[in-house]
Amino acid sequence: MSTANAKTWPKLTSADEFRFLADLVLKRSEADHTVINCHDQHGGTTRFANSRVVQNVDTRRGTLTVAVAFDRRRGSATTTDFTAGAVQDTLDRAERIARVSPEDPEFLPPPEPQVFPTPLTSRPETTAAGPSRRLEYANEAIGQCRIENLQAAGIVSSSVASVGIAASSGLFAQEERTEARFSLTVQAEDATGWSAAAHRSIDHLKIQDRTLSAINKAKRSRDVQELAPGRYRVILEPAAVAGLWSWMLWTLDAKSYDKGTSPFAGQLGRQILDERLTLQNLPDHPDLLGTGFTHEGLPSEDSVWIEKGVLRQLAYDRFTAQQHKIKRIATLEAPCVSASGPAAFKTQELIKRCERAILVTNFWYIRTVNPTDLTLTGMTRDGTFLVEDGQITTAVRNFRFHESPLRVFKQVEAFTEPVEAVTSETGKMLVPAMVLPDFHFSSVTRF
Amino acid sequence: MPFTRADEMADLALRRVTASGAEYGDIRFLKSTSQTISGEDRRIASIRDVEDSGFGVRVLYHGGWGFAASSVLSLEEIPRVADLAVEIARGSASLASEKTRLVEEPVHRDRVATQTRIEPLTVPLDRKTTLLREVMDCVQREPEIVRSSASLWARRDRKLFVSTEGTRLEFDLCAVQGEFTATARYDGRFASRTFSTPHLRTGYEMIEAADFMAHAPLIASQAVEKVKAPAVRPGLYDLVLDPEHLALTMHESCGHPSELDRALGYEANYAGTSFLTPEKRGTFRYGSPHVNLVADNTEPETLAATGYDDDGVACQRWDIVREGLFVGYCTNREVAAKIGETRSRGSNRADSWGSVPIVRIANIGLEPGSASVDELLADVKRGIYIEGHGSYSIDQRRYNFQFGGDAFWLIENGKRTHMLRDVIYHGITPEFWNSCDGVADRRHRRRFGFITCGKGQPGQSGWMTHAASHARFRRVAVIKG
Repeated sequence: MSTANAKTWPKLTSADEFRFLADLVLKRSEADHTVINCHDQHGGTTRFANSRVVQNVDTRRGTLTVAVAFDRRRGSATTTDFTAGAVQDTLDRAERIARVSPEDPEFLPPPEPQVFPTPLTSRPETTAAGPSRRLEYANEAIGQCRIENLQAAGIVSSSVASVGIAASSGLFAQEERTEARFSLTVQAEDATGWSAAAHRSIDHLKIQDRTLSAINKAKRSRDVQELAPGRYRVILEPAAVAGLWSWMLWTLDAKSYDKGTSPFAGQLGRQILDERLTLQNLPDHPDLLGTGFTHEGLPSEDSVWIEKGVLRQLAYDRFTAQQHKIKRIATLEAPCVSASGPAAFKTQELIKRCERAILVTNFWYIRTVNPTDLTLTGMTRDGTFLVEDGQITTAVRNFRFHESPLRVFKQVEAFTEPVEAVTSETGKMLVPAMVLPDFHFSSVTRF
Repeated sequence: MPFTRADEMADLALRRVTASGAEYGDIRFLKSTSQTISGEDRRIASIRDVEDSGFGVRVLYHGGWGFAASSVLSLEEIPRVADLAVEIARGSASLASEKTRLVEEPVHRDRVATQTRIEPLTVPLDRKTTLLREVMDCVQREPEIVRSSASLWARRDRKLFVSTEGTRLEFDLCAVQGEFTATARYDGRFASRTFSTPHLRTGYEMIEAADFMAHAPLIASQAVEKVKAPAVRPGLYDLVLDPEHLALTMHESCGHPSELDRALGYEANYAGTSFLTPEKRGTFRYGSPHVNLVADNTEPETLAATGYDDDGVACQRWDIVREGLFVGYCTNREVAAKIGETRSRGSNRADSWGSVPIVRIANIGLEPGSASVDELLADVKRGIYIEGHGSYSIDQRRYNFQFGGDAFWLIENGKRTHMLRDVIYHGITPEFWNSCDGVADRRHRRRFGFITCGKGQPGQSGWMTHAASHARFRRVAVIKG
């Protein structure tokens, strides 16, 4: 297949074009306050299963949202049609809604203009990648699995988006964001192994390394034993750690905290986790998917959320932040969990140190069981092993866990340096692999 | 018609597809208009009015699939996207170790429209916001209610589907839903109770008939009762599950495993596979003889009853589980051939113009039995009655599940007594459905559905309705959540 498509992809909305569109809306808006958000994306995914391509897609979607307010009455409308008539119609719809909406006591005018950070959010190699590059990577993973007589299922995707926000306050920001993803499940009869990556650069997906990792997990998972449910020492690989931490990140909202309906209620400034654990936002980190600004027009900057186990920060909406007289709202697009003190070089070193533990590659279908203490449930998936005397001795049937991250991360026995982690249920993070001494598996499944 | 000149644009695209030598192609134009009004803590927090329009071209070339889509609707964009779909399909074909083949489907030329008495998007906005504010005010009159939320949702889809086989289908479909929640706090913990209408393809008349205000005081008082209720004591309990709750249990433990693409490994990297593998069809005892699970995409008002799916296949009714025996799958034109079926069940759906259709769960429902709900309860010495949805999780082959609920009552000696909190039950799918020893009769049948069923990469949201009457399950493992 030729690479001609990369050249003929439709041009996305540039900064100048977005400014032109925004100016058009702002000039015609009769509202007291107007905000325009643009998200114009072009991307595709090659999906394979049973070692052949089963889906191969490419989509261009542009969306423009106009939000207006008359005094405190708000309305918003969105369109995928960027023609002048449709943009005018979108503004009209937003204004019609706002005129009949009740006053919102929590309404705030759009943020004032400011200088936004400019992290490297776009990589030209990802922008240039099209269907042929995705197919090439898929073929590489499938080919490696065929050599081992194993089945491959997975995706290779790449996208580029032009993202912008403009407001009647004078606020304006625009940036291009690229993203590439690879994930692979290798099937060895009934056994599976998995690996995944996400990065701004498609060159950074490390297809070969990750494919070999998934192959090794699948091969090791062939002979499986069933262990009884109960409390175990666990070695959580980075993806498993990310799965549990994501739920803590998603429940940090300040309004729930104020209302007493947060698992963190009353804990701000207090020790909530192991004193070596720190959570930061690092939008400039080259391996994270940091951005220059948020959908609300807030700058994305470095911030510390949990410092040596102490809860330091909550996720504020603008109104709640104002109530608390908070001037700079911290954001969390690029989370990094780190642990202070001597770290193991790799997960393999953690394995060597354990007399007996369950090694978990990934968790799946994590959901809240009890929001008061953030008890979660979920299944282990795609590589669960028994470690004895510093070695993996057998694969084990997958467990269901019933556990709160707020409890288990209070005591961490050992850890690695933070590394890249992403799962189908979480965003991209940097997290260490960790050994936790007491983790509750409540039941076992049939495989 | 979703767009002017759509037929002309369809013709332009499909001519290029045919000229390329592809064996099959189709084009879908879709204009979706949706409105979501969300209230939080007595205020209207957001009103979102979204128009999402575009088109997608799907091509099967020498056994390989290609799909391209765009939100730019112009006579210049159509050929670009059609050619790109062909080129992508050629790339897929170059790696195809096995050629995709579609089972036959008659050519259809039809128009399908949702019947509504009150078109939901024409109802004055202030009528809707007033309702939501009043219901939130009402539940927050209860002193121990600390938070409230309420929402109304409506969507209209105007779609044109044209294929190279000559099928031409026009759709004008509506759907609506509404709900509200009260959250109570007590003794350092909090609990919520929700009232929800089903998502159905009908008009605003369903919201009016639901009478939110009549239910609000009870929902608020039950939220308070729930947060103060004793925690469940772990053990084995008989369960009587209400239809809304069962909708989710059926969806996760029967719906997903009956998707043939999963059973064949297409979802191995994300949503998972299925324990209902093809060799089990016709022989595997999925449940007790009380369990009859029927897929019915023809029942009016249900979400998957769209007349035709996104393969252009007519909607049908068929058995998934008959008297406990697993007998049928949800299929599309591609996977049906792989198990020797000669026609698709018409369960191939895309969630937007920009998504490629994939096999989705049909409107799978539990057929009514012969008991009344009182009769189901009367034969329970120690059990739990569960209403609504709560926590849910299931493994990637759909064996090991765990469910909570929205409200729980202890059953003692045949009577519902007081509420419980933190009830979680878990089990293995076929063991659980084999423990079903009674289903209530048709008078108790109700319908609930989902519009956020996640599957596919890139992720898509599936829509389907699950109907049931109450059902009883014996000696199910219950733990404290």
